[in-house]
Amino acid sequence: MPEYLETTVDKFIFRVATDRLYSPEGVWVMDAGGAAEVRVGLSDFVQQRNGDAAFVHLKPVGTRLAAGDEFGELETIKANLGLISPLAGEILEANQDLDLNPEDINQDPYGKGWLAVIRATDWEAARTRLLQPAAYLAVIRAQAEAEQDSP
Amino acid sequence: MSQTATYHTTVRWTGEHWGHLVMGNGPEYQFSAPPDAHGHAGVFTPEDAFVAAANTCVMMMFLWAAERLKLKLLSYECRTEGTKRIELDRTEIFSRLRFAPKIRVSAGGESPDVVEGRVRRALQSAQKYSLVANSVKSEIVVQPEISIEE
Repeated sequence: MPEYLETTVDKFIFRVATDRLYSPEGVWVMDAGGAAEVRVGLSDFVQQRNGDAAFVHLKPVGTRLAAGDEFGELETIKANLGLISPLAGEILEANQDLDLNPEDINQDPYGKGWLAVIRATDWEAARTRLLQPAAYLAVIRAQAEAEQDSP
Repeated sequence: MSQTATYHTTVRWTGEHWGHLVMGNGPEYQFSAPPDAHGHAGVFTPEDAFVAAANTCVMMMFLWAAERLKLKLLSYECRTEGTKRIELDRTEIFSRLRFAPKIRVSAGGESPDVVEGRVRRALQSAQKYSLVANSVKSEIVVQPEISIEE
């Protein structure tokens, strides 16, 4: 079980798991054990921000990605969200369980709601560009407060 | 996302226990209280309006959720019952809203169990995202009858 940092904005509590890194778009990245293999998923902030998941469409295994490419799309009850790859690499595995249980993204975003495993082209370089949990917590707090303050 | 929108209605006393209501979206109604609250039968009442607001809002949100979940909806009908409780201090509250939707959906070649699961998720989302259901203090109970047809 990961440990979490938390921030509260209005009535919302957002958790950031401390055992992984984050893109500014809210995709988490963690070592998946194999050589340069990383698991990716959506942060608690992104899942709360976009609402109940309806369908997840992930690009097929073998798809090669540049950092910033879409590796899939999330359809929720409220929105469609392009899933932005936080690093370059190749999709090794897509979470097939999400076909029947997309709500795992909402209920367990840092666990069963993972999206894909990617073999990173240069994991050591990519990890230096990703955000540490405390830095990502500051990003989401600023985003959430800006939205709360908007007219 | 914190955004606001406003909606309005206007009421005017027309004598005795009668009023005239103009909805912001256009319709107008004569209204009273229900007969058990010193009003009149056969007309629009605040009690019916409250229950109707929740019932209609949840249905519209269900239709949206059903579209997003790609359900092939055949029919939807829902009787909703609001329970009024009179408190010790004689104040009154709708303590419970019980929704009993009857929903028919075509399986469309998919597994009926999978489709039924999506119907139940659509119902949960309808309650969660309904502006009115999300705004009331009443306990909300949903007791659906779901029929999946070939």
